[in-house]
Amino acid sequence: MEPLTWFGAYGSSFGPLLLVLATLAITCGLCAALLAFIDNTPRASFSLFNGVAVLLLLLVGFTYVYGGLTGAEGGAMPLSTLGWMLGTLAALAVFAAMLAWFLDNFFDNPAAFMGILFKWAIYGVGAVVVLWLVVTLLWQGAAHKEWLAGFDAADMPPAEEIARHRYISRLESLGILANVAIRFTPVWIALVVLYGVSIRYKRRLGLYGKLFDSVIGMIGFGLVMFWVFTALFVGVFDMIATHAALEQASGMKNKLPGTPLMRAGPEEFPFYLLGGDNLARDIFSRMVYGSTIVIQIAPLATLFAFMVGITLGLPAGYYSGKLDTALSFLANLILAFPVILLFYLLVTPEIVQTGLPQYMAMVLFLFPLVFMGVLIQSRFRTQPQKNVIWIAVVLIPLFLLYAAAINDGGPDSKIRFWPLDFFDIPPGILVVFVAVVFVNSPTVFRIVRGLVMDIQTRDYVAAAQTRGERPWYIMLWEILPNARGPLIVDFCLRIGYTTILLGTLGFFGLGLPPESPDWGTTINEGRKLLSIYPHPALPPAFALLSLVLGLNLLADGLREESLKD
Amino acid sequence: MPKIHDYDGPILEIDKLSISFFTRLHEIPAVMDFSVKVSPGEAVGLVGESGCGKSTVALGVMRDLGKNGRIVGGSVKFKGRDMAALSDAELRNLRGNEIAMIYQEPMASLNPAMRIGKQLMEVPMIHEGLSEHESYQRALEVVTDVKLPDPERILRSYPHQLSGGQQQRIVIAMALMSKPSLLILDEPTTALDVTVEAAVVELVKDLGKKYGTSMLFISHNLGLVLETCDRICVMYSGEAVERGDIETVFNNMQHPYTQALFRSIPLPGADKNSRPLVAIPGNFPLPHERPPGCNFGPRCDYFQAGLCDQDDITMKDVDGDGLHETRCLRFRDIDWNAPITLAQTKTKGEIGRVVLKMDNLKKYYEVAANALFGGGEKRVVKANETLSFEARESETLAIVGESGCGKSTFAKVLMGLETATDGEILLDGKNIEQIPIDKRDTKTVADIQMVFQNPFDTLNPSMAVGSQIMRALDIFGIGKNDAERRTRMLELLDLVKLPREFADRMPRQLSGGQKQRVGIARAFAGGARIVVADEPVSALDVSVQAAVTDLLMEIQRNEKTTLLFISHDLSIVRYLSDRVMVMYLGHVVELGSTDEVFSPPYHPYTEALLSAVPIADTHVTKKHIVLEGDIPSAMNPPSGCPFQTRCGWKSRVPGNLCEEEVPPVRQLKPGHQIKCHLSDEELANMEPVIKFGQEAAE
Repeated sequence: MEPLTWFGAYGSSFGPLLLVLATLAITCGLCAALLAFIDNTPRASFSLFNGVAVLLLLLVGFTYVYGGLTGAEGGAMPLSTLGWMLGTLAALAVFAAMLAWFLDNFFDNPAAFMGILFKWAIYGVGAVVVLWLVVTLLWQGAAHKEWLAGFDAADMPPAEEIARHRYISRLESLGILANVAIRFTPVWIALVVLYGVSIRYKRRLGLYGKLFDSVIGMIGFGLVMFWVFTALFVGVFDMIATHAALEQASGMKNKLPGTPLMRAGPEEFPFYLLGGDNLARDIFSRMVYGSTIVIQIAPLATLFAFMVGITLGLPAGYYSGKLDTALSFLANLILAFPVILLFYLLVTPEIVQTGLPQYMAMVLFLFPLVFMGVLIQSRFRTQPQKNVIWIAVVLIPLFLLYAAAINDGGPDSKIRFWPLDFFDIPPGILVVFVAVVFVNSPTVFRIVRGLVMDIQTRDYVAAAQTRGERPWYIMLWEILPNARGPLIVDFCLRIGYTTILLGTLGFFGLGLPPESPDWGTTINEGRKLLSIYPHPALPPAFALLSLVLGLNLLADGLREESLKD
Repeated sequence: MPKIHDYDGPILEIDKLSISFFTRLHEIPAVMDFSVKVSPGEAVGLVGESGCGKSTVALGVMRDLGKNGRIVGGSVKFKGRDMAALSDAELRNLRGNEIAMIYQEPMASLNPAMRIGKQLMEVPMIHEGLSEHESYQRALEVVTDVKLPDPERILRSYPHQLSGGQQQRIVIAMALMSKPSLLILDEPTTALDVTVEAAVVELVKDLGKKYGTSMLFISHNLGLVLETCDRICVMYSGEAVERGDIETVFNNMQHPYTQALFRSIPLPGADKNSRPLVAIPGNFPLPHERPPGCNFGPRCDYFQAGLCDQDDITMKDVDGDGLHETRCLRFRDIDWNAPITLAQTKTKGEIGRVVLKMDNLKKYYEVAANALFGGGEKRVVKANETLSFEARESETLAIVGESGCGKSTFAKVLMGLETATDGEILLDGKNIEQIPIDKRDTKTVADIQMVFQNPFDTLNPSMAVGSQIMRALDIFGIGKNDAERRTRMLELLDLVKLPREFADRMPRQLSGGQKQRVGIARAFAGGARIVVADEPVSALDVSVQAAVTDLLMEIQRNEKTTLLFISHDLSIVRYLSDRVMVMYLGHVVELGSTDEVFSPPYHPYTEALLSAVPIADTHVTKKHIVLEGDIPSAMNPPSGCPFQTRCGWKSRVPGNLCEEEVPPVRQLKPGHQIKCHLSDEELANMEPVIKFGQEAAE
């Protein structure tokens, strides 16, 4: 079996086209940005710009010559690398300046012209990619047919071999990228359905619907949902991944992307799509398995941090005075402590031995209960019957979950009194979870406190006070709902930070076990041989990047849309 | 940079200007077919309700419409040059140099991180390239011109160290720094107190004369426009509906909207029982829901189907001399002098027994001098000083005063949000001054309720209107279950004349007036007997003000409510209150029936307040009193009489009495009390502040 190529059988025809269009897009984009910047400024600065470009060119020329002279004797590579970089930069600058000058003289609005060119180049790139995908998918059996035609009707190979060959040749003609895309098919379908439904009914969906008016928000939401769906399909239905997260295959250690398995079983996927890692495990599968861990922990930990921050921030902002001083001091104390050091302390085996994370979980996990309890109590204070029902319906399941979560049947566990302990959180995950909540909640506390102080001065709060509402009703039902805008945005951003934090923790080898497929740990694993084999570290790094980027864009989109109208 | 010299045509010519804002969904026309001309040295007033496009016109002149605003038709010519043809650089040269703008919020117009002097000096340094020294001299000169005390100290201070009135004077000074030919004032005094407003308006008028600047004065206050402007342009829903000399338009209006506007503002002579205000029916149309034909048609008394709802209507010349124009097809058919047909004359509610009694109420706050450690010497802020009055059933007691006079503190103490330092509050003979709200029983809490000032702030934005009223019912223990409460809530919506569908709407879907009605419904949820209305209509448009005031009066007549009406607007106070209490720096300076307070003898502060309120009636002449300076801080009140620092009568009191002693409360007549050192003869010789046409002529 041949190793897979990136673009498959038709890559050679589409690749150059793609390259040209991408270059055009980048150049036009740069030019448009440059022209928008120099537009409206007097001509003087324009010629200054040209002057700088010429100066750069001279500098580069000198560096080239010098680098060439010394480089010939060897050992002067860094300088010539610098020359290369400067040269490219200067060439680009001179080119852009000349182009800008040309455009400025011959077009009314060169920036807009360049912008349009940029737009079309981007469309071109998209079109070529789609075309390539279509061609690749439609003619994926061509090589197989050719192979079949090479046999006479008499000496046809056995049926299994034909089927096997058809399968493999299809995979080969698809190439790595198309194969990866096809592995994600359920995710694509789910995204298309989600977007179709959401855009169709966006006018009725409130802030969520408005998100689909903003391109940035849509892109961000798409990236986030991509990983959410991936985690869902991998975690629940065991789709997408080609191999198990911990499965090793002989001879696949540090193999490049697209390497075929040496002795693939008939049921096994015959390639490592993104190569093999240091322990001969499939990088692609580990990346998608890693998403389940990240998607599970990050939003949940952020949610708990919000519960803690809100429950403490509301009274601090509302009452201010001594309570505020005390709580703010505590928050500042935690914030002032170096985060990584704190993590090291929290996850050190000696500390874990003392049961500290469990005790912290006991306290931190209590906040959602308190929050929900107060929320219901304050709302239905005047209607005792409803109050009891609501409290029972909400708090009993929550308490069962809480008790089960803090109790652990393990041998080192400090808390195990509860008989109905129907699940255990793995100790590693608990430690990471508690640490992340503990570090994030002071920031949330500060945001909530500030928002409360602002909203508190509104007339509707005074109206509630004058009709004799209790403070917690005012905090939870009059103030909190109106602070939701900034809080939702911060929530999105904070999931991003938490994801990075998880990555950082994994990178330092803290918390999660070393074989865990989560992105931080895999990046750390891949780091060790980075200069020789960069491919094991890159996919999880890109995954982390895209998720965090998605969350940030989503937060941007939400902020932008919540400010409108 | 040079200015355009030697031009003697009109300073500003706006011709058939149309401005639209573009949203994702549709184009929203904000201004349509708007024309106005401003001659040198002339002041033109632009009047209309919020949302009518008057500020958009100003921004259109400055060509500062933001990303989605665009001029879609017509032209703006400044000194004969078409603004549309100017480049960005030329525009920059015009703005702040030839055309200056003064905005509503003075604090928002000043850079809080820069000293006043530096901000002022920037203007000539940028536009005229003056040296720093010359600019400083210019700044000093202009700051002296805007009558600020100790200009050198002012130039050294930061914006937050000045009061609101002083800040607005600085903004005016900044606008005058480059000696512009056109000054655009966008509601320049709305954020200021009445007496400060009067002083600022006075200043603007004087400076306009001194510098020969043309002015475009944007306001919703007809009285203010009458005082400042030569010509007026009334706008409605993006169009100019009437244009002409101020006297002509005020005395001989030719558009139904202008007429309706005048009938809905409380002028002297209006009375809540015999001559009530006439509110304009219906609502202001949203910019994308304007009716065909005349925009005012659906709300107009003279509307004629088939005529007024056909084509777009153009401006018509009234007298043929081009000086007075109206956008009405039927202006010749309408009898403009027909008396107002009254719906019905309302009978005044019988004033009953005493419900609420305040006796010697005092509220002091202690402020620690050192905030960080709470130590050091404590300072006492006397927010309320010996407040005594009675309020009866179905009575309206107006509490009048400017910001910082202690009326909000008084409301807080009454509501139980704060407890009194000393004195008594008796509700039906029971002491409540020391009971905070969470210790009060439901009945007491439901009995005393409040209507708030800002309609955009009074409702919780994330809760449906009905739920908010139901919550109040719930808290006051009314109704056994949600179904009963819902029925009661719908009845309350009927009471405040809102359609029942509004129960499920969110507050953002309601207009300001509608929100205020919901606020009133909520206050009456528990059958309130005493309602504290804290400037309930001051943030509303004039046409809506009348309707909301009317509603309050009607509910009062039916429910026999005691209304404590807090306001600084004396016109509305005169219109609706039975008795008036004037407060200054925590002291009650005058208390009496409305007639007694509004006619001499006055307390000097009452006199100044009366003179400060602009009245939109050309037949009225006012005695001209401008108070110097600002209201002193309650942290550091003047010795003796609180008003002595600004009082014009101080010299008539022998000795240094005003500075040494707080004046005693004197009974002039039974029920009319005054806190002043002036002798009885001086008081008796006071002249009325407001005179009507005939009296003034004598």
